[in-house]
Amino acid sequence: SGVVPADRVGCSGSRSGRNADFEQFGGKAYGSNAELVENSDILFIAVKPYLVAKVIQEVRDSLDPRHVLVSIAAGVPIQTLLCAAGPEARIVRVMPNTPCLVGEVAAAMCLGGKADESDEKAVRMMFEAVGKIYTVAENLLSAVTGVSGSGPAYIFMVIEALADGGVKAGLPRDISQALAAQTVLGSAKMVLETGKHPGQLKDMVTSPAGTTIAAVHELEKAGVRCAFINAVTAAAQRADQLAGPAKL
Amino acid sequence: SGVVPADRVGCSGSRSGRNADFEQFGGKAYGSNAELVENSDILFIAVKPYLVAKVIQEVRDSLDPRHVLVSIAAGVPIQTLLCAAGPEARIVRVMPNTPCLVGEVAAAMCLGGKADEKDEALVRSLFEAVGKIYTVQESVLPAVTGLSGSGPAYVFIMIEAMADGGVKCGLPRDIALALAAQTVLGAAKMVMETGKHPGALKDMVTSPGGTTIAGLHELERAGMRAAFMNAVVAARDVLRQFGK
Repeated sequence: SGVVPADRVGCSGSRSGRNADFEQFGGKAYGSNAELVENSDILFIAVKPYLVAKVIQEVRDSLDPRHVLVSIAAGVPIQTLLCAAGPEARIVRVMPNTPCLVGEVAAAMCLGGKADESDEKAVRMMFEAVGKIYTVAENLLSAVTGVSGSGPAYIFMVIEALADGGVKAGLPRDISQALAAQTVLGSAKMVLETGKHPGQLKDMVTSPAGTTIAAVHELEKAGVRCAFINAVTAAAQRADQLAGPAKL
Repeated sequence: SGVVPADRVGCSGSRSGRNADFEQFGGKAYGSNAELVENSDILFIAVKPYLVAKVIQEVRDSLDPRHVLVSIAAGVPIQTLLCAAGPEARIVRVMPNTPCLVGEVAAAMCLGGKADEKDEALVRSLFEAVGKIYTVQESVLPAVTGLSGSGPAYVFIMIEAMADGGVKCGLPRDIALALAAQTVLGAAKMVMETGKHPGALKDMVTSPGGTTIAGLHELERAGMRAAFMNAVVAARDVLRQFGK
């Protein structure tokens, strides 16, 4: 999205197909992690969580004070990253989410080690090119997982259910699904852009004895609000469990 | 959004404040509906439903075959519009929704009277400047109301509830709300842009024993899918009561 020119993006890794992807948009694939580290300032650690510490330790000797390590690995705490990289390392831990793929990520970050405001700004600038990012304390990353990390699945389910409702009411499937998805998209955009409370927005569109308040009643009857609070909580608790006793 | 230049947009009506709004972006406010009709090709009827027939009848004599009447009035059938405008009129009935305000409308249209493919293409190009529009049979417009017309309220409730969940888990309110709304937007965009089935997208993000499937289980336990189906049908049923 133009924030960093392609020829300033490098990668390195064991999967040659992935290296080819980077080269396709103009990035540079290096022969080894050490070589990549030497030629980079900001390092995104994008390996599976169980490999993160190992991969960092392998390049530890190539790290110097300029490097910023950005980890998107779920459940790998800053403490683990510092152990692997050394106590002088600048660490930024990010919890992104899948819609990064369509340029609308909902992410959170926290800083560790010697990472400072300018590192926060650099990471913010990159993620704001593909959506939104917020800074939180590390102990809240499991809560972030519950809302934005796991959240997309809840919405996929809602869109499918809305589409089913439309089909039940007589709409063809393809139109029903398109209207459902577009309605969800537009409504979320209203919350983001108007700055109004969602309850107030709901009030604004529920005219007396109209169609909308009848529908809202069905949602309330079914305890939909509670269901979503439960979903977020369950996902966050599972995130804590997976992170293990050393989650901080 | 650039589809029609502002100086080719006119308005007329009894609310001078509204006329001022149009003039502010470069449109032209006319002194009477008849004058507006004479100077326009496509007419958006944007008065309250109970006034639509009356307003059209008042300008009936100024209508000629070139005019396309676009009605966004909920519950006013094409038959009523044709009675008011005359049987030669080109009618397009549209059910838009509130997010038109942020350029992401989810709308449906149906044609009536002498309206043809060109009229459909024209209305489509107007609405696609601010979102998406689909052509349907008039008989399913109540279903559209239940889904996209009323749908924004369902989403506002969902976003508030997700934010509440985030707050319960320790997030500050403003961040919880922002993450919730952005997550909803991004997920919907994934459905729109990947063309994949929502169930397939759900499968792609539910790793074994992970956080996401744990969250989903709670939604299934609560019968969330039925709740949203019920909502769409209940909204549609309100219109059925009145034979609309």
